[in-house]
Amino acid sequence: MEAIATNADPGRALRGLSKTGIPSCTFVNLRSSSAKRLACRYTKNINALSCRNCLQALAMSADMERAKPRPMFSQIPDSDLPSTVKTSFKITVVGVGNVGMACAQTCLTEDLVDELALVDIQADKLRGEMLDLQHAAAFLPRVKIVADCSYAVSAGSDICIVTAGARQREGETRLSLLDRNLSLFKSIIPELVRHSPDTILLIVSNPVDILTHLSWKLSGLPPNRVIGTGTNLDSSRLRFLIADKFDVNAHNIHGYMVGEHGDSSVPLWSSLTVANVPVLNLYDKNGVKYTKETLKEFHEAVVGSAYQVIKLKGYTSWAIGYSTASLVKSLLRDQRRIHPVSVRAKGFYGIEHDVYLSLPSQLGRAGVLGVANLPLEEDEMQELQQSAKAIWETQNKLHF
Amino acid sequence: MHTASRHVRSGPFRFLYILQPQSPLWTTRFLFLRRLGTPVSGLLLQCSMLQECAPTSIFSPIPGSDIAQHTPKYSAKMTVVGVGNVGMACAQTMLSENLLNELALVDVQEDKLRGEMLDLQHSAAFLPRIKIVADTDYRITSDSDICIITAGARQQEGESRLDLLDRNIGLFRKIIPELVRHSPNTILLIVANPVDILAYASWQLSGLPPNRVIGTGTNLDSSRLRFLIADKFDVSAQNVHGFIAGEHGDTSVLLWSILTVANVPVLNLCDKNGDKYNKETLAEFHKGVVNSAYEVIKLKGYTSWAIGYSVASLVKSLLRDQRSVHPVSVLANAFYGIDQKVYLSLPSKLGRAGVLGIANLPITDDEREELQHSAKTIWDTLEKLKI
Repeated sequence: MEAIATNADPGRALRGLSKTGIPSCTFVNLRSSSAKRLACRYTKNINALSCRNCLQALAMSADMERAKPRPMFSQIPDSDLPSTVKTSFKITVVGVGNVGMACAQTCLTEDLVDELALVDIQADKLRGEMLDLQHAAAFLPRVKIVADCSYAVSAGSDICIVTAGARQREGETRLSLLDRNLSLFKSIIPELVRHSPDTILLIVSNPVDILTHLSWKLSGLPPNRVIGTGTNLDSSRLRFLIADKFDVNAHNIHGYMVGEHGDSSVPLWSSLTVANVPVLNLYDKNGVKYTKETLKEFHEAVVGSAYQVIKLKGYTSWAIGYSTASLVKSLLRDQRRIHPVSVRAKGFYGIEHDVYLSLPSQLGRAGVLGVANLPLEEDEMQELQQSAKAIWETQNKLHF
Repeated sequence: MHTASRHVRSGPFRFLYILQPQSPLWTTRFLFLRRLGTPVSGLLLQCSMLQECAPTSIFSPIPGSDIAQHTPKYSAKMTVVGVGNVGMACAQTMLSENLLNELALVDVQEDKLRGEMLDLQHSAAFLPRIKIVADTDYRITSDSDICIITAGARQQEGESRLDLLDRNIGLFRKIIPELVRHSPNTILLIVANPVDILAYASWQLSGLPPNRVIGTGTNLDSSRLRFLIADKFDVSAQNVHGFIAGEHGDTSVLLWSILTVANVPVLNLCDKNGDKYNKETLAEFHKGVVNSAYEVIKLKGYTSWAIGYSVASLVKSLLRDQRSVHPVSVLANAFYGIDQKVYLSLPSKLGRAGVLGIANLPITDDEREELQHSAKTIWDTLEKLKI
């Protein structure tokens, strides 16, 4: 139960439920005549002063116990969600290749950070990129931009974006990158966490689901603070394609692709809407209703789109830059928006394996505040579980 | 149940759902080809009282609308020629700043071009709606408001800007006339180096009036200077005001007499020893600026982010008629005692019609002479090229 704001009654604060579930109230204004001396129902302490707010909380908790609705969001087990928020923002970007720099530059343009740290192993390239960004200073709000091969510059980061690692070559699947990236992460993640123990890790490198799981294991952080960009970009690509087909703005298409960021991703057609109309209620030019089979081409186009761009220009950068910046915004500015990102999925949607894969999650300053409990259809649930299985099998071959 | 029908809520027909006839105009489009105003699909009205009905569109125009006939008065379209690092940095920054309705990309390398276009299109869900097209044919650039030319070889390590010349002039002879043919009302914004000479060449090749041919010039140099000075005095770069004028290169002129920090002329400030700042003590800043591009090129191979922001700030002033003053490369004769017809950077007011005017700043005689020297250097090179 969240802490209840007491704007209506200034001078009194309620801290909310304690760990044991017993309501604890802080009685601030001792001189108020409305203070009553009551026996607390739970502690049976006659001398405990209680106030109207506490009684209200007790009443509310009783109601909620009775109603017991299924929560909209469920916290990932073992999360630690703090209550205070810092105001000066620092992010670290590890890896100054095309993706890392696109992320850095988009975050700067969107005015999300006060300090930006860049880390890489190539000293020259690193320094060159830092200078190039610094030269843009007159066009940007004042930001401190630092860069070094040593992780000391990343100290005190709110978010660490990890883009380091080999990129997919033409025709190469994301999973085959794994071996190359495994040992690299062993040198990156512990260092980042050592310098920023309160950070949120945002993993971009591919295969993102497995590398995010690895990062979680290596970091020792609670799972709400280790996130992968997952299918955030896939979902936006899907929305673009559907928007193009129906000639509507992509902002009016709402839907998620979940599961593995890769070939076994799952588009949730049952909850995808176009201008708030479910897509499965719409008709094509022949008067035939859209079904998951006829919409399959969109899914295939999305899965193939990254390969297509890589084949044409060698890498992808701009789209993933915008995608990461939108995640950073939701995190740093506590937006409580829902993004399909790679999170620890065990226990959700019948997934039994301990894997990371993309699920619609609410993001805020403390990381993943919860995973949305969407009503999925049976076959979507199964596809999601299969996706989890595919990731699990690959993961098992590795030795963390 | 979602029903997007028109439902009469009361009266004797309240149990009758009103149907829309299916629109006869329909085209199928996928990915990068788009046409506006084509309603596509239909809807089924599900209710227990009716059989299967003819599907309707998602959206229905208000009766009496003139959608097909009405053409929007203002649609900001920009062309970027050259999709290398600079061109894409410009394009992407422009998108982030929400300046455009349409973006056209042109280059000679087809694959790279298409890949970049797709990558930008994939960002669509994070951006306001914009039409992005790409082709090796200049046809797609028609009716652009601004054409940004970044095409050309880039400076290699140790190479000065003037050495690039021969390679780039020939390229411009192919590019400029095509652009102007398709967009006779456009403003040309030249980024490729050496920008002053190429801007002059573009002016000659285009036949456009000089207010509509601009080079990015020392806009970025000035911002680099402001960053360095701001860093030294620990203020925001936005509170340092000043210009670097002249050639975008080795003979650029730092206008010390009008440089201010927090509205205080910098030449009135004293350093920690109590000595007043003068050109000699501050010379390191000018050198720092001139060398900064070479330094970045040596370290990462090219510059992109800073020039991208710089170009976006110019495009904003132009498209949104901001009337702000930027040091950009303009036709400079008859200003500050410059006799030759050359392009070099002077503080200029920019608006929708291009260069609205050149600022007449109270600079010292020394600075005027330096500008004239810069002009002569450019003129000498132009003579050799016989443009």
